[in-house]
Order: sequence, then C-alpha cells, then structure tokens
Amino acid sequence: MSKLLIVEDDDAIRETLKMTLTGKGFEVISVSNGLDAIPAFEKHLPDLILLDLQLPGKNGIEICNEIRKFSMVPIIILTARTDDDDMVRGLEAGADDYVTKPYASEVLVSRIRARLRTLGSPSPHKIIKIGPVELDSLSHEVRKGDKKINLTPLEFKLLLILASHPNEVFSREQLLEKVWEYTYKADTRLVNVHVQRLRSKIEDDPDNPKLVLTVRGWGYKAGPE
Amino acid sequence: MFFGRIIRAALDRFRSSLKLRSLIYTVALSGTALVVLGGLLSVNIGNNLFDTRTTAALKESAKAAEIIENHFAEANGYDIDQLNLYISTLLPRIENEGVTKKRLVKFDSKDRSLQDRQLISLESNFWPKNIDDQSTPALPNLSSKVTSTTIQIDAHGQSVPAILTGQLITLPGNHVFKLFLIYDLESEQQTLLFVQGILLLGGFSTLMIIGFFSYLVTGWLVKPMRVAAQTSELIASGELHRRLPVRGTDDVAILANSFNHMADSLQEKITEQRELSRMQQRFVADVSHELRTPLTSMRLSSEMILENKELLPTDPKRAAEILFETVSRLDSMLSDLLEISRYDAANVTLSFDYHDMNGLVGQALSAIQPLADSKGVVLQAHIASGSVTCAVDSRRIDRILNNLLANAIEHSEGKPVLVKVAQNDNAVAVSVIDNGVGMTMEQAKQVFDRFYRADPSRKRTMGGTGLGLAISLEDAKIHRGVLEVYAEPGVGSCFRLTLPKRQSVLEYVSPLPLAVEKLS
Repeated sequence: MSKLLIVEDDDAIRETLKMTLTGKGFEVISVSNGLDAIPAFEKHLPDLILLDLQLPGKNGIEICNEIRKFSMVPIIILTARTDDDDMVRGLEAGADDYVTKPYASEVLVSRIRARLRTLGSPSPHKIIKIGPVELDSLSHEVRKGDKKINLTPLEFKLLLILASHPNEVFSREQLLEKVWEYTYKADTRLVNVHVQRLRSKIEDDPDNPKLVLTVRGWGYKAGPE
Repeated sequence: MFFGRIIRAALDRFRSSLKLRSLIYTVALSGTALVVLGGLLSVNIGNNLFDTRTTAALKESAKAAEIIENHFAEANGYDIDQLNLYISTLLPRIENEGVTKKRLVKFDSKDRSLQDRQLISLESNFWPKNIDDQSTPALPNLSSKVTSTTIQIDAHGQSVPAILTGQLITLPGNHVFKLFLIYDLESEQQTLLFVQGILLLGGFSTLMIIGFFSYLVTGWLVKPMRVAAQTSELIASGELHRRLPVRGTDDVAILANSFNHMADSLQEKITEQRELSRMQQRFVADVSHELRTPLTSMRLSSEMILENKELLPTDPKRAAEILFETVSRLDSMLSDLLEISRYDAANVTLSFDYHDMNGLVGQALSAIQPLADSKGVVLQAHIASGSVTCAVDSRRIDRILNNLLANAIEHSEGKPVLVKVAQNDNAVAVSVIDNGVGMTMEQAKQVFDRFYRADPSRKRTMGGTGLGLAISLEDAKIHRGVLEVYAEPGVGSCFRLTLPKRQSVLEYVSPLPLAVEKLS
C-alpha cells in the first residue's frame, strides 16, 4: 500500500481528499501547516507528497526545495492558480507534476499512480551512455565520470527515454505521454522546466547544453551527435 | 510614361511638403515683383540717360551752328572751295566742342547755285542712307531751330542707337545750309546694359536670398508642427507620457501648451480606465481562483456521493447526479472565466511547435465522438492529403477544434457535421460545417461575444459556458489567425479557422471557402 503525505491548509479539501484517496486504497497522512510538512515526511517517509503551494508557516516552494536536498520522493503540486509563476517556481523547485484545483478524483488518482509507477518500472539491466553520463537502468544510478548524480525518478525516466534513442526528436507532447503518462493535452511547461532541471544536473554548462538538446519548433533530443 | 511619372512625383512632393510649397510660392511671387520693379527701373534709367543726352546734343548742335555762323559772319563772299576749306578746319573744333562725342556727318547747301557742286562729305561711314532721303527724310521739317531724332547707326559692325540733330544754317549772302550731327549712344547703351546686368544679378541674388530665408523660416515654423505630428503618433501608439517642448509665449508655444494639456487629460483618462479595467480583470481572476478552493472539496464530495449513490433513495440519488453535473459545469465556467481574464490581461504565453493539422483534427474528432454518438450525430471529415504541418500551440488549437465541434453537434439537430482541412503555401484552414438551425448574419456577428446566445429561449442542454467561442476567437487571434462564421437560418453554419503556417507568414488567404454546403 502506497503511503501519501497531503500538505493542505484548507480543512474541507484535506478531509475530502483524505477520504477519497483512502477510498482508492492509499494510506494517507495529512498535515495542515507548512511547518509540519518536513517533520511529517521524516517521520512517515511517504512514497509521494501532495503539496499545496499557499500554506501557513512555510510555503510549498520552500518545502519542495528543502525536501529535494535529501530526497527524490515524487511531489505533485496542488494549485488553484495556473497562470502565475508560482506553479512554474514549484516545478523548478523540484516538483514532478501539478494538478489544478478543482481536480476530479479520477484525474488526481491517475496522476498519483503514474508518479508511483516510475519508481518500480521493471526493465532489463542495461548501462546506457550519453556523452560522459552513464545510466544504470536497474539501479537507477546515474554517474558522470566518477561522480554520482542524484536524479528524481521522473528526471531519470526523462533522461532514459531520450538517451535510449539518441538523436531521435521527441515532441513535448510525446514526452508528456511517455514520461508523465498524460493521455490528453497537458501543459508543455512541465517538459520545459524538467529539461532545465535535468540540464542543471548533468550538463557542464546548462546554458549551452551538449547532452539534452532543444530542437526549435519540434522538441528535444539527446546529443551529442 | 516616364515624364508623366516624374511630373506626378514632383506634384506629390509639392503637395506633401509645406516647406517646398512655401519656397516655390515665395520665390514665384517675389520673383514677379522683382521683374516688374527691375523692368520699371531699367526703363526709367534708360529714358533718363536718353533725355540727358538728347538735351546735351541739342545744346551742342546749336553751339556748332553758332561757331559756323560766327566764322562766316565777316566774310562777304566765298566760293565752294573756300567753304570746304573752312569747314574742314572747323571740323575738329566742332567735333571736340562739348562733352559728348559727336560726328559731323553732313553740311549741305540748300542754295541752288551751289547745289551742283560737291560739298564736303565727311565720315561717310557714318552716313546712314536715309537721313536726307528725299522721300522719307529722318528729319523732315528742318528749320533754323535744332531738332533731333533717334536712328540706328553702324559701329564696329554692330547696330547702335544714336541721336541725329539737324538744322538750317544761313550764312551771309543768304546761303542756307543743312547741318546734320550724329551723337552715337554706344556708351549710354553700355551703361544701360551694365545697369540692367546689375539689376538682373541683384534681382537674382535677392530672389535666392528670399528663397533661402523663406525656406529657413518655414522650416522653423514647420518644425514644431512636425514634432507635434510625431508626438501625436507616439501618444497614439501608447507612449502616453510624450509631450511637446514649450518655448517662449508665441503661437507655437500656445499650440504646444494646448496640445500638452490635451495629452495630460487623455493620459489621465486612459490611465484611469486602464486601472479600472485592470482592477476588474484582477477581480474576476481573483474571484475565479478563490472559488476554486471550495469547489475542489465540493467536487471531491459530490464524486464520493455519486460513487455511493446506490445507497441512496431515488430522489437523493438524482440530487447527487444533479449536484455532480452542476459542480462540473461550475468548474468549466470558472476555467473559461480564468482563461478569458488571462487574455484580457494579455497574460498569455504561447508555446509554438510544429504539428500536423490532420493529426490535431483526428484527435479532436475522437475526443468528441462520445458526445456525437450521444446526440446521434454523424461526424464526417474531408482531410487534406499528405501532412499539414504548421507551427501552433497545440493545446489552444485543440481547444478551438473542440469548441467548434461541440458547438456544431449541439446545433446540428441530429444531421451530420463535416470537418474539412485544407492547406496552401502559407496557410492552413479547418472548417466545421453543420446543416442545423443556422442563424441570421446579425446573430452570426455576435456569436463570438461573451455569453451570447443566438436564441435566448433555447434550453441549455450542453451546459456550455457561453465563453467557448469568445476564447476560441482569442486563441485564433493570438496565432495571428482568423476565426470566421457564415450562416443562414435553416441552412446551417460554417465556422472557418485559418492559421498562418508559420508566424513569419505575414499575408495569407484561406484555402477553404466560407460557405455552408449540403451534407448527406
């Protein structure tokens, strides 16, 4: 049974969400204050965090940043605003996905399942190389030379898909489908932000990428030539 | 033709440039004045010169007659030889008498007794043929009083004006002689030419100077106007803080002050309006956002109730369904409100990628198929052959297609709906055609207005938000595309979306007609 941590200050949402997700077979822990989020995480070690952005005590972006310092746990942002920069900042701080309020439980559950699946996708053991970066498909370990690189499961999946098909161009929609498992049109900013994050971890110079290249007007591909 | 074009270009320049026009007018008018003035001056000077010379000539001729008369006063008798001798000795004296240069040309006896004899004929070169011509004499009525006239003589191969004086001299013995003297006006002619030259040169320079200054002055006067025009343009283009410089207290300064005053009040009004409209947009966005949080728990709760509806008696079961549908509709209304308020606040960013329009249409068709099935509507598609690649924000295009299809299905009254895709070099078009109720063109004009309903009495079966087409129009516009409608009551309607294939395409024509065709 997967364990979820809900960080949400609105009592009604927190309660209905807890009921809904428990009903779908998840174990749910919830906190209402931003300050309680990290202690709760350390205590329960959930498999996934549902994080509201506007929280009392400590906002969702700070929480995201702090958790990413020591954990690659999947984080899904719950937000009422899609048009301001908060959501993008949350993604940049390390969140994997976002769901806009008011969400249908079906949508939320499918997003949660997709993020949890990334963790345990079985694949044959293989070492995939992209430039100086090596990916171990089984242990999910990423090395650049001697240095170990910490990627979130989602970032790993993104890099794995690109690196397994060198020089093949993937559109943002394709990546949303393959990495995030979206089956309908979604926000391509997700892809842009995560590619940026990935670059900042694996590229020598993230502003002048050599490994994950942008193909203007089409999408992304793995380099080098 | 070539000259025609030059003339037309010059005319255009003349009409469009105040500076040039004022230059031409000033030069033409002052030029005319100078020509008249110069002409008068020149004629006046010429007349004066001539009059002075004529007076002097008459005086000198009288003097010459006097010299001759005095010389012969003492002599009692003389013959022609003596006369010739005397005259020839007198000649230099007469010629040098007075200040003006003159020539004795004829001294002729009127005395019959002397007539047969040849009298001295002097300076025959200066002897114009017609001076003493019997039939047309230059001076017909000679008397003892000197008279004058103007003639042309030949000097250095050129014809120059000269004064001819003539008089009768009576010598003792009652011998009458004709004395003709010629005063050539060559030097006066030269003086006059010189003066005319000076006048011409002076006039021309004056004209140049007038032209130059008028150009400068017009420039000074026109400059504030040009600045005002530029400033107006800048203000019109949105730079509301632009003002005209004010110098001094003259008319231009008054104009600048009034202009600035107008700009101030415009800026104030516009800023006020903007602020109001911004606040309003902000309010709509905030309200929509604030409503989403309670809506979330409403939605989750209603879902939960719906999932367990079997536990409920009949009426509460139906109520649960209604609650769920209403919450969903409220949700989509809020989303649409937010979307339109984003457009109003110009807070929209596009992510262009290359997509195949056939593919996008295919996806939209399969997404809408359940709705079409539930309404018993057959969806038909005429898709362009090959791939129809265009740079678009696929999420927005998808939204347009979904809106148009849902709209067509709702109004088709169970008849088929046709989707067409076509392309040309620069543009892609998708049209959605139904043979349903249609509408009048007045209604069609309003169909993109927010919350507009063609028929207010129609029941809201689809639960549309009333913002769908308004958002679609904005979606099309932000792609620099066009969303148009053609409709006829009872025949049907055709919505046509035309998009440039690339954002670099500036002009394009739609590859599809805007017309309703009969579908079977």
